[in-house]
Amino acid sequence: MAAEPLLELKNVSAYYGPIRALNRVNMVLYPGEMVCLLGGNASGKSTTLKTILGLVQMGEGEIYFRGERIDRKLTAYRIARGIAVVPENRRVFPRMTVRENLEMGAYLRSDPEGIREDMEYVFSLFPRLEERLSQPAGTLSGGEQQMLAMGRALMSRPRLILMDEPSMGLAPKLVETIFKIIKSVNERGITVFVVEQNANIALSIADRGYVLQTGEVVLQGPAQELLHNEAMRRAYLGEV
Amino acid sequence: MRVPITTRGTLFVVLAVFFLLVGWRIQALPDYTLARVVQDFLNALTLGSLYALIALGYTMVYGIIRLINFAHGEIFMLGAYFAFFAMVLTPLPLALALLTTLLLGGTALLVTRSLFNLESPKKTAGLAFPLLVGIFVLLGFRQLGWIEALFLSMIATAVSGVLLELVAYRPLRGAPRESMLITAIAASFFLQNMGQLVFGPYVKGFNPETVLNRPLSFRIGPEEVYFTGVLLVVPLITGLLLLLLNFFVTRTRLGKAMRATAQDAEVAQMMGVNVHQVIALTFFIGSTLAAAAGVMYAIRFGQIHPLMGLLPGIKAFAAAVIGGIGSLPGAVLGGLLLGFIEIYVVSLFPTLSAYKDVFAFVLLILILLFRPSGLIGEDLTEKV
Ligand SMILES: Nc1ncnc2c1ncn2[C@@H]1O[C@H](COP(=O)(O)OP(=O)(O)OP(=O)(O)O)[C@@H](O)[C@H]1O
Ligand SMILES: [Mg+2]
Repeated sequence: MAAEPLLELKNVSAYYGPIRALNRVNMVLYPGEMVCLLGGNASGKSTTLKTILGLVQMGEGEIYFRGERIDRKLTAYRIARGIAVVPENRRVFPRMTVRENLEMGAYLRSDPEGIREDMEYVFSLFPRLEERLSQPAGTLSGGEQQMLAMGRALMSRPRLILMDEPSMGLAPKLVETIFKIIKSVNERGITVFVVEQNANIALSIADRGYVLQTGEVVLQGPAQELLHNEAMRRAYLGEV
Repeated sequence: MRVPITTRGTLFVVLAVFFLLVGWRIQALPDYTLARVVQDFLNALTLGSLYALIALGYTMVYGIIRLINFAHGEIFMLGAYFAFFAMVLTPLPLALALLTTLLLGGTALLVTRSLFNLESPKKTAGLAFPLLVGIFVLLGFRQLGWIEALFLSMIATAVSGVLLELVAYRPLRGAPRESMLITAIAASFFLQNMGQLVFGPYVKGFNPETVLNRPLSFRIGPEEVYFTGVLLVVPLITGLLLLLLNFFVTRTRLGKAMRATAQDAEVAQMMGVNVHQVIALTFFIGSTLAAAAGVMYAIRFGQIHPLMGLLPGIKAFAAAVIGGIGSLPGAVLGGLLLGFIEIYVVSLFPTLSAYKDVFAFVLLILILLFRPSGLIGEDLTEKV
């Protein structure tokens, strides 16, 4: 692609105390793309997303977003620049209402008009949320909580949305719906970086993919190529 | 296993049990007149309000950083002393007033600037100017009344609370919880001894001529009921502060950020919340409430002492745990409950009055045994 990258990780390493969780990772995301991040348990997928947000101690390396180096910036700054996240396990604020959760997604914004528009957009994607606006989020079903977590991320009107296993623990039917919605969000021009265990479904709708193993990128390429890659099939697509 | 009980249900049961016991005992006391009914009730409501105000500080800080801030009782003590000096020493000579204004106002500004994210110089000046002028006028020209002293003390105490957080707790962010706990105990000792050194280790009388200690009376039938103004004012001010607090946490952006941080600090950060700022804000608000309690407690009992924060502090902590630590309504309920129990036990069972300080802890132990998450505490298992 010829366009300027939206997000670029250059030789990024990340640490939990003395333990290195990411080792010289290189990744590029172009505007409008949908990229998936695959890998087994503890391979560093969630850590990658947290490093992009500045929630993990970063060692060497550089991160660029919209052409600007952000790896020394505060988390709030990165979010204000246009990164949003749907965290692993949804993690809605359980004792806040659906509305308050959505408001938290727009925490750094101060344009009431735009916030209202985006809330309408979220309701158009997830009508269920509008019906439950004043219900505490902790009492929603797992699927509804996933929708809320996605809606909350959209409320910051991001350019890049990071999703950590949006299909976890959902019935197959709902997984399909969720991925359809992810696709439609992506088609609005929002770049999507999605972590998935479910490699088949992720690769079937993503443009490209990266595969992590113990903190290193071991495979990368267009989704279709990965889907048919021998090593990939053996390791992650559950075939012998 | 935990029986699910609603807040309203719990409240009902607690009240019912309490009034049944009181009613049953009053039956057996022939000299328990209507006047005493009113007096006991006002006394209990006042003491309970004060415990509730202090308990809120414990519960808020615990909710955000899982720390029992043992120095909170000393913050309460500082509140009383600040008001005392504000009333006794004013009017200050103008030069001294100016110096104090710059010192207090300057620190207050530094603290609030990071608290409320006042990045623009214009906004900062907009806050700074009236604040500085206000403090200067208060200090420099006449002797302060108790309301002005209360207000000044709330500012000064809030600044002290934030400084405590900055100096003692912030460097330990991410450290094991025990380190913070030990630091909190050390901070408490430090402030107690500092208080004795700076304020003198004696009891000082605190009896300002105000409406608060004016004797009031009214008639109920044939009886005359006597009480002092403080018994009406304390519940009133407490109610007002609770309304403000409730408005803050449910309606304002920062208040919601605070609740979000208490529920999941990492995700709050992912939404752009500056967690350090929210923690400082929590200390700020908790300390203003403690200051209000300290001033009113001092006026109620007519004296102040550097160790005065010890017992009310521990009792309010017990109240916070009894109500369910981390829960704001829980702290209020726990505080009121302890106030009522303390007053009514002394009044209805005079032989037990020597043990009045023990009941808080008996109740605490019972709660810890049978309902560790507190009367209306948040279920600790909720977070998966
Ligand atoms: N807060 C933490 N402190 C210490 N080590 C951590 C922390 N979080 C993650 N790790 C370690 O970093 C490594 C990568 O974890 P990460 O959560 O990124 O894996 P993951 O690929 O998302 O796994 P999963 O698919 O199970 O979610 C693991 O070995 C994990 O134990
Ligand atoms: Mg993960």
